Amino acid sequence: MQDPIVQFRHISMQFPGVLANDDVCLEIQKGEIFSLVGENGAGKSTLMNVLYGIHTPTGGSLFMKGHEVRHFSPKNAIDLGVGMVHQHFMLVPSFTVAQNIVLSKEPRKAGIFCDKKKIRKQVEDLSREFGLQVDPDAVVSEISVGLQQRVEILKTLYRGAEILILDEPTAVLTPQETNELFDILRKMVRQKGMTVILITHKLGEVIAVSDRVGVMRQGKLISVEETKNVTEHSLAAKMVGRTVLHDPFEKKGEPGKACIRVENLSVLDNRGLPAVKNLSLEVRAGEVVGIAAVEGNGQSELLEAITGMRGIQNGNVYVMDSSILGRTPGQIRAMGLAHVPEDRLATGISKEGTISENLIMGKHRRKEYTFFGIQVKKKSVRSYTKKLFDRFDIRAANLDTPVGSLSGGNMQKVVIAREFSFDTPVLVISQPTRGVDIGAIEFIHQRIMDKRDQGCAILLCSADLDEVFRLSDRIVTLYEGEITGIFQADSITKEEIGYYMTGARREEEKTHG
Amino acid sequence: MDKKKMDWGYFGSLALSILLALGVGGVIMAAAGYHPIKAYGALLQGATGCESIGEFLTAAFTKRQFGNTLEYTMVLCMTGLACALGARVGIFNVGGEGQLYLGAIVSAYIGVLLAGCAWWIAIPVAALGAMVAGGLYAWVPGVLKVKCKVNEVITTIMLNSIAIYFCTFLSTGPWKTSQGNRVSGTETLVPDLQFTRLINGSSLTTAVFAAAVIAFLVWYVMSKTATGYEMKLTGQNRRFAFFSGLKVDTITIGAMTISGAMCGLVGMFEVYGVKGSYQDGISKEFYFDGLLVAMIMRYNPVGIIFMSLLFAALRIGASGMELNAGVPGEVYRIIQSVIIFFMAAESGISASVKAKRAEKRARREANARLEGKANG
Amino acid sequence: MGNIFTTGLFQHMFRSATPVGLAAMGGLMTEHAGIMNIGMDGMILMGAFTSVAVSWLFGSAWLGLLAALLVGVLVGMFFALFVVKFKSDEFIIGTALNILAGGLTVFLLRSIFEVKGSFRGTPEQPVVGLPKVELGVLAKIPIVGPILDGSSVFLILTWGLVAIMWFFVYRTPYGFWIRAAGERPATLRTAGISPEKMKWISSALSGAFCGVAGAQLALGDVTMFSEGMSNSRGYVAFACVIFGAANPGKAYLAALMFGFFDALGYRLQEYANSNLTAMIPYAITVIMMVYVVVRSQRRRAKMGRIAG
Repeated sequence: MQDPIVQFRHISMQFPGVLANDDVCLEIQKGEIFSLVGENGAGKSTLMNVLYGIHTPTGGSLFMKGHEVRHFSPKNAIDLGVGMVHQHFMLVPSFTVAQNIVLSKEPRKAGIFCDKKKIRKQVEDLSREFGLQVDPDAVVSEISVGLQQRVEILKTLYRGAEILILDEPTAVLTPQETNELFDILRKMVRQKGMTVILITHKLGEVIAVSDRVGVMRQGKLISVEETKNVTEHSLAAKMVGRTVLHDPFEKKGEPGKACIRVENLSVLDNRGLPAVKNLSLEVRAGEVVGIAAVEGNGQSELLEAITGMRGIQNGNVYVMDSSILGRTPGQIRAMGLAHVPEDRLATGISKEGTISENLIMGKHRRKEYTFFGIQVKKKSVRSYTKKLFDRFDIRAANLDTPVGSLSGGNMQKVVIAREFSFDTPVLVISQPTRGVDIGAIEFIHQRIMDKRDQGCAILLCSADLDEVFRLSDRIVTLYEGEITGIFQADSITKEEIGYYMTGARREEEKTHG
Repeated sequence: MDKKKMDWGYFGSLALSILLALGVGGVIMAAAGYHPIKAYGALLQGATGCESIGEFLTAAFTKRQFGNTLEYTMVLCMTGLACALGARVGIFNVGGEGQLYLGAIVSAYIGVLLAGCAWWIAIPVAALGAMVAGGLYAWVPGVLKVKCKVNEVITTIMLNSIAIYFCTFLSTGPWKTSQGNRVSGTETLVPDLQFTRLINGSSLTTAVFAAAVIAFLVWYVMSKTATGYEMKLTGQNRRFAFFSGLKVDTITIGAMTISGAMCGLVGMFEVYGVKGSYQDGISKEFYFDGLLVAMIMRYNPVGIIFMSLLFAALRIGASGMELNAGVPGEVYRIIQSVIIFFMAAESGISASVKAKRAEKRARREANARLEGKANG
Repeated sequence: MGNIFTTGLFQHMFRSATPVGLAAMGGLMTEHAGIMNIGMDGMILMGAFTSVAVSWLFGSAWLGLLAALLVGVLVGMFFALFVVKFKSDEFIIGTALNILAGGLTVFLLRSIFEVKGSFRGTPEQPVVGLPKVELGVLAKIPIVGPILDGSSVFLILTWGLVAIMWFFVYRTPYGFWIRAAGERPATLRTAGISPEKMKWISSALSGAFCGVAGAQLALGDVTMFSEGMSNSRGYVAFACVIFGAANPGKAYLAALMFGFFDALGYRLQEYANSNLTAMIPYAITVIMMVYVVVRSQRRRAKMGRIAG
């Protein structure tokens, strides 16, 4: 075996309060596709950020092509042939494809001007060489996510990358796009002798594409194996360190009357394009309806429309039998809806506000907490928020801690504590456990099930298909803003759902049980 | 549910910044050829009218200068709180100057029209007029900000210029006094309508009691009430507040309008208490002084009330200093703004020091762990 | 009305548009780099003072201009120190900078030149102004001739600067980097270029342009310094940047529009109170701001998004 192209020797990365990488030793061979798997927060991205020079490790050393890396910066890493495609694309939306690809290494003429012709030619040559078709003059904000990813890859190739790191590359892709991407990666490895490192938590993809796979858990590298020797199950067990699948919850009896009725709803996305198309749906009391869809297929827009965060173009939504047309989010809440938003930092909390202030929001005008609706009853507010603080097991020094300083999981608990304690008949929950540590996930799931058992009508949306399966009574698959199927959760498998999520199959009317 | 941000570290850095800024002021004065210690002595004397601490303790409340300082404290307090009201909900009213001018001229003209009325009719009507004028003039940029997303800093600055030209137009044209020897300004108010002076010869009048009540109300609303809570959360995360059901547009426009009304009222106080009529240049950037006070105290109402006294002493003292020691009074503006720069630098530096320290600690911990492993 | 729309009107238009246009060139640098530069008014004021002081001291307007430019760079870097390095609030620092500039220039005016109000130099040593355009025979060319003849040379230099700025922003790598620093700093960083560095550079450039704008205001136009002579022009320039979507050509057109209404207001004094006509350019600036923002809002309103 030849010398490894990258060697991590006892790498540790300590952030304030978090040990993200703990004594990691790993060797990557030239010309392989290596997968790094692990749950959220396992330290995969941190390790790769070290390789890409974004973080300087707090311990250990990094060797590339036999030489120790002494100076950690992206520039240095690029010079050494490392290229990274980040999960959140690093593109300038208002620039064209070509401008993005050459950014920071623009070919020039007369010393100071960008040589437009040369830029275009180089980009075209590059895209032909690697079989990555793009339109050099298209503006990035106007092309699809799949194409944007292609631009990202071209960007790294333009900089002469030999080692390509891809962080969760398939999270936003359709299955077709995923397959295309894998073909390209294989070709790059076989024909150009490149090395690819894939960060992911989708185990099926790991098996499909990689040569070797490393598993990380809580900052440690647990195992490295040849992919042919592993199964999805064995990987999953290692990733979590215990039995993979949580015990499913018992599905409860008959749901009651319809609490959310969506009728022929059409909604536009931020670019003004149709995101939800003529969609109809019902959520009844005492049931959880889960939405299964690949990111960007209208699920976010649908939930935003129902909660009043997004305008409705056509159709109607009824919450507890009253129409929400023309209502503000506040008025819709008053109709009996509470909402755990998708992006908690933007819409779910105030970072500067204290835990207490964040928990009382929406109830602060109630009689119990104000004198005549004017002066705040400080003591009652505190005793109430303390109760929530304890009941939802929020880990923080005290009620006066700014929410912005909490971990993702605890922030989410603040949101869930506040929204669930409205005791509304309708709950709309988006990404309940995104970025939440494993311990808190179980807790949050249990609370959601309690709510269902109390007769709450719950509309759930999650990027995590396992979560959708575990919690839902019925599952709705969305593809390009349209419903492709509605299923009883216990009558369908994950694999089958996959077909519907990708539009490969669709049902005209709901059947299945 | 307030507090927290005003911790001791903050006071420490504030005190240090003030001292350093006074030092910078001294250096600048020395460089310009003045004796800084004498100049600061003249400043203190100019602010209090007293020559010794003993005199200050016994006779301060008889001194014209000290009365002026207290009057200007009131002005800063009102304008500073007006600024804080807007800033708390995330809208910066930089147009207080124009609102003040409009309040001044409208109230002055009402006073002229109601010259024959009893004071208890004329003064409330004039105050109301001043507040409506100032409030409406702030309402406009407030609505533009909320409904059209137009940057309020630019619009309010432009509206300042417009208001000042407009007031000059009124005071030299339609509302000009008939007293022959004056080029501009409204008719002088009848003595009945002018506020009673609390210290002879000073600007300190009974208006200070009204201001105290208003300051108390603003503090009470901002830190004790549900409305204050809503304002705060709106300022912190507007989107979150809106999606939680708060009427963020109403809150923002309301805060802006009340902010303008307070500025208008300050204009009325100047007319009825100090000048006796509207005159051009009635406010010499009073609002910007208040804005600085508010910024330095991070829009905390209690802090603004106390800091106003210091800044008022600085400004009134500076004019005394100009008179007695010949040092240009503008030095107080330099000191004021330098305080802000020092505080910004302090928080910037301490943040980066904190980050560096955390990084070092992390590195140490990691090494210790590795060594522990190597040994174990 | 015949005596309103004369060549004098257009001469006045260019005269009052030039400093605003120059400052706007600076303002669009910081705007592209993602910095809200409220402090331009103070930068202009300091530039104006420096240029007058140096011109008076050395008897050279060009030296005065150079000094104003250098002071502008320093002030711009001072601004960047707080906004970029210390990550302070741009609004607070900009406002403090304006107040400092107001105080410092008046203090220096009174302590160095021992005058109040304004300074035109001393009888034996007057402040030297920047040269004027002398067209000679060419002045006979209809319309253009009389407008240009006798104007400050900066009127023409500004046209060149606007063109250079356009190429700088849209055709050179540095322009791309500065725009990327404002739009997606993380992207630029991962491409190996420090966005902070770009922000420093754009602040310094912004200061330089504002300094030159101040020099033009004081030396190209009236040959004197007077207290608060920037008279909110920095804010007007900021509005021009917004109005022109940070495009040099469009921002300069916006400055011309301001100049036009300034000139028009001045001419209308014959028919209306001068205080009323003086309001016109400021009112136009507000209307300009509202117009441009509302237009872009309407474009966005097509989409389903509700603002929050």
